[in-house]
Amino acid sequence: MSPARDGAGTKPDLSVDIGRFTLATPLIAASGCYNRGAEFARIVDVGAYGAITLKSITRDPRLGNAMPRIALTPSGMLNAIGLQGPGIEYFIEHEAPKFADAPTKIIGSVAGFTIGEFVEVAARMDGLPGLVAIELDVSCPNVDSEGECFAVDPRATDAVVAAVRRRVRLPIIAKLTPNVTDIRPIARAAEEAGADAISLINTLRGMAIDIEHARSALANGTGGLSGPAIRPVAVYQVWEAAQTVKIPIIGMGGVESGSDAIEMMMAGASAVGIGTANFRDPLIAARANEALAAETTRRRFASVRALTGLANPGFAAARWPADRRPSHVSSTR
Amino acid sequence: MALEAPTIETTTLISREQVAPGFWFLRLRGREIARRTRSAQYVAIDVPGTAVARLPLGVWTAHGDEFSLLFREWGERTRKLAGLAEGTELSCVGPLGNTFGTPGRGASALIVAGGIGIVPFWLLARELRQAKVRVSAAFGARTKAMLVGAEQLRREVDDLRLCTDDATEGERATVLDLVRAASKPDVLYGCGPAGMLRALSEHAVRTGTACEISMEETFGCSMGTCWGCVVPVRRGAPQGTGYPASPRDSRNYDFARVCVDGTVFSARDVLWLEKPA
Repeated sequence: MSPARDGAGTKPDLSVDIGRFTLATPLIAASGCYNRGAEFARIVDVGAYGAITLKSITRDPRLGNAMPRIALTPSGMLNAIGLQGPGIEYFIEHEAPKFADAPTKIIGSVAGFTIGEFVEVAARMDGLPGLVAIELDVSCPNVDSEGECFAVDPRATDAVVAAVRRRVRLPIIAKLTPNVTDIRPIARAAEEAGADAISLINTLRGMAIDIEHARSALANGTGGLSGPAIRPVAVYQVWEAAQTVKIPIIGMGGVESGSDAIEMMMAGASAVGIGTANFRDPLIAARANEALAAETTRRRFASVRALTGLANPGFAAARWPADRRPSHVSSTR
Repeated sequence: MALEAPTIETTTLISREQVAPGFWFLRLRGREIARRTRSAQYVAIDVPGTAVARLPLGVWTAHGDEFSLLFREWGERTRKLAGLAEGTELSCVGPLGNTFGTPGRGASALIVAGGIGIVPFWLLARELRQAKVRVSAAFGARTKAMLVGAEQLRREVDDLRLCTDDATEGERATVLDLVRAASKPDVLYGCGPAGMLRALSEHAVRTGTACEISMEETFGCSMGTCWGCVVPVRRGAPQGTGYPASPRDSRNYDFARVCVDGTVFSARDVLWLEKPA
């Protein structure tokens, strides 16, 4: 047995391929929780992440929702920020120039209310120094379709991803919403439209009532639920999507430890997004990297990539004929 | 004043004392945070047995390798924090947020504290005295038992006046009554309930008095990344985003993050929008 195979005395390879780009570790700071990376860089080494996904950028500047925007719930957090942000023009002029020196890779994130907005913003982000991919927050409400979110409809998902694909050279990640009956046709639509990867899950729609004042706890009424409360939903949807598409999946939703990241990879994720958990544990990425390395070594794998789909027989079935599966998955139940 | 960067420090709970029903005074050992903290700054505490978000609490006192917290029980996280055993290790991120400005030598300052809003003022009083500023303070609460911290603050200021809603201590008055009765200071400092801060800010603007207020909101990240704790500020305010105005949005103001752009704002920058009661 080779040293790399039995792991003795060697560090396992934590790098992963997400379609056309490679990350030094599978961990990605999830969009909306890390702003542009500078805040957490004051207290931790953000290089523990393979990449940081920026807070989503819209075409126009947005002031966002009124307060309150946050409500804490059992094992979770509801938010309705409303995409407060500078707009693409200001972003390119004042913020993007800093990414060339970032301590890790940067994934841009685009939100839009029409297909035209997605295309315009993504096309302007394409080629900015430091950006390795562009995530499309297709979980936004679609103004062209009476406010229904793009990613609840396979045709709308296909239309927006395909339109961006035609104009953008960087890899595209479609970020999908869990607020659907069946994630599989949506994931398939994103893949067929040319997405290089999909990321899921976005927040779950939720609500809390301020019973003292007899009104919603959020000024917006409803919000997006994140945190450990949603992790089982995320694991399930990653599992389903991994049996459906061949493109890599970035699994996220309630991951707050190394074992949670391992769980997400075993369900079928090639990389793992961490969002809300940074708030409680700013060192979570460093800790989770150690846990991923330890698990890889313990299983005598040379690379963390071998964890992807390990618990999901359908993951292997969707990718390789039975006689050509990699050795580590061939005996999987 | 140039602020030092925050850090993640494992602190130890040295002692806990209920100083009034529902009000707690906790001493923590944490050398770096004690050394770095300036007035109005806070720590974000990972309270054992709670999920998702750290609890942000203003630092009350800091000297040597110790700092203290003075807080009111308010929800699950403060209740659990108040119930911890001495010797418990607590992960704190801090110091976070900005600090009060200090006027020149010989100036006069009036501190205006409402209830638990006294917290940023022990450190401020020390900073002001060090800067040779004359410091008076007006401190009000619903009732005498809720005037927590008054005795410690009294030792740090030249003059402390107290008031309560029920006349159990000092005058039956509000702190605004005390401010209006006092001679005009060079600078006002406020912390307390939103209604009090609004009245103080309006008084300051009306009388042309410099005024800084430390504000409170529900924080998500306590780091400035989630944009969950914003306060409306006038467009062009130094702590605003500086982003261009939003087309198709009639709101002619900006939002600043209380957690990192504040918690201290100039009274003339904050907009008091009507909120549903």
